Amino acid sequence: MTNSHYERAGALRTAGVNPRLSTPQKLMVFVLSMALFGLANIILEIIPGPHIGPVDMGVSNFIFVPLTMVALFSPFWAALGAPLGEIVFVDLLMGDFSGLSELEGYLQMFLALYIAGSIIRNPRSKVQIWVGAITVIVIDKFLSAVVDLTKVWIGLEDAEFVEGLPESILFLEGLGFGVDVVISGILFGAIPAMWLIPALHGKIEPLMGMRPRVPGEPVPGDAPRTGWFVVVAIAIAIGSAFFSFLEAWDIEVGVFEAEFLEQYGMSFLWVAFGAIALTVVVSLVAYWLGTRGKEQPDVGAADAVAKAEAEARKEKVDA
Amino acid sequence: MARKQRDILSVEWIKLELIRTAYATRGGLFTIMDPRAVIIWYAILAFVPWFTHNVTVLAGLFVLGAISVVIARVGPLVLGLFIIGLGFEIIYLVIASLMFGGNWETLIALGVLNLKLGAVSMASMAAFVSLDPEKLSDALLSFRAPHLLSFGVSYGYRMLPIMVEEFNTVFDGYRLRMMAPDKPGFLAWRTIVHWGKMAVLSFYPIFLNTAKNVRTTVEALETRGFTYAQSDPRGRKLRLAYLRITPLDVAVLATTIILVVGCFWLGAAFPVYR
Repeated sequence: MTNSHYERAGALRTAGVNPRLSTPQKLMVFVLSMALFGLANIILEIIPGPHIGPVDMGVSNFIFVPLTMVALFSPFWAALGAPLGEIVFVDLLMGDFSGLSELEGYLQMFLALYIAGSIIRNPRSKVQIWVGAITVIVIDKFLSAVVDLTKVWIGLEDAEFVEGLPESILFLEGLGFGVDVVISGILFGAIPAMWLIPALHGKIEPLMGMRPRVPGEPVPGDAPRTGWFVVVAIAIAIGSAFFSFLEAWDIEVGVFEAEFLEQYGMSFLWVAFGAIALTVVVSLVAYWLGTRGKEQPDVGAADAVAKAEAEARKEKVDA
Repeated sequence: MARKQRDILSVEWIKLELIRTAYATRGGLFTIMDPRAVIIWYAILAFVPWFTHNVTVLAGLFVLGAISVVIARVGPLVLGLFIIGLGFEIIYLVIASLMFGGNWETLIALGVLNLKLGAVSMASMAAFVSLDPEKLSDALLSFRAPHLLSFGVSYGYRMLPIMVEEFNTVFDGYRLRMMAPDKPGFLAWRTIVHWGKMAVLSFYPIFLNTAKNVRTTVEALETRGFTYAQSDPRGRKLRLAYLRITPLDVAVLATTIILVVGCFWLGAAFPVYR
């Protein structure tokens, strides 16, 4: 409790030194994050992005919106909600829904936001906000860029089956990544977030009945069972890489390796599907193991109030 | 609902169009079908194109997608964005590969990929434009999707037009209060910066408004036992009791499967690979 003082009216429902979110509050954070990022995406969808040559110079995401959410609220629930907003508001409604690769995008964005939200320990620190914003873009875009570049690199070792394309993809992919970091990560990520996060800190949380985050405090509503969560996250990351490969597979087969297709037919595709199924099963099992026995005894409202009051009293004594 | 304003591309029109899309008010075949059947129908058409590289089959599936878009009466906004997207994609591919000395073979390969993506997109447009939020979330619930997802879908579809309207109001407020740059500058960069700044600033009130809205909604839901009703099997059963698979659903699904098989048969008879 250093220099963060805020004013509020009414009682907050998260009390104590290490506040835990109640189910409705988790739902609130989830829904708010989803709605805001969805809105940001629909605005971007309507605004045409300027192109310079074949490179999209437009803003790919208003990253500052979900970044604000993960910096101010529980990163886990905010990160879970934001990419869903993109899918629900834009992809389903606008007919952009592309099945498997949507799932890949969801997982990537979730991981990126969750990690960024965990990095930001103090919502008022500009340095941490910058690091967080760039982390989101790098994690989100890096995986797909790396997969594409690997494909091209492998393609280059083969006979020059199609001239011109490998270089162009390599060039465009690298350029696109740089443009994304500058435009989405900095211009519409770090710079607006640098202003928005401190402006909202201490104002938006009481509206939702929560206590603002205090610098250095453990993240509220953190993911349960950290060890297992890491396992699940890694499995998700691997799974999402396979999704990327599946997506890239079509370009690969279609463009570079027609002979390969004739030789092996569709069997390689099934291998990729099998790998995805395996990682999904592994992460489900890990998740199940991780959450098993997490069920807490039902605490009645009176008990909860008593506990909260006792904790608040203890806090006063301590202070 | 002034339909005659269609020719003017205004924010108002986009908002109305979004409401029409979200609530599936245009009618069409899929609105009277059972939502579960619509999702299964979509799953068939979304997965099948990924399993073939035969151009004849893909062309057949593309035509199938186009027919379903017509049957579902997809609105001009969604369709327009789709066509613009596909068109620009093709143009950029042409430029990119010509710039780096590619040849027509490259273009044909990428054209085939776009055929595939187009077929999938059209199926998803037809399906999701025809499902209103309530039906879609019930269908997801009946497939045992996580209840946060089904709630998110129904909330998102409902709130989207309201939020766009709110954003529009706030944005107009900023436009009125802020002075536009005197000179547009090189490539109108001052104007672009000005608009970008207003868009970012608008999010501050939107964050606070939405936070209040969300809290009101969630607390209203929770007083009615929302979380428990969603996860409790009895509540789920009550909510899904109205879903019925009718002969129409079976007929549409059967026709689709026959047509898909027909495409593959046609592809086997007249195979075209690039």
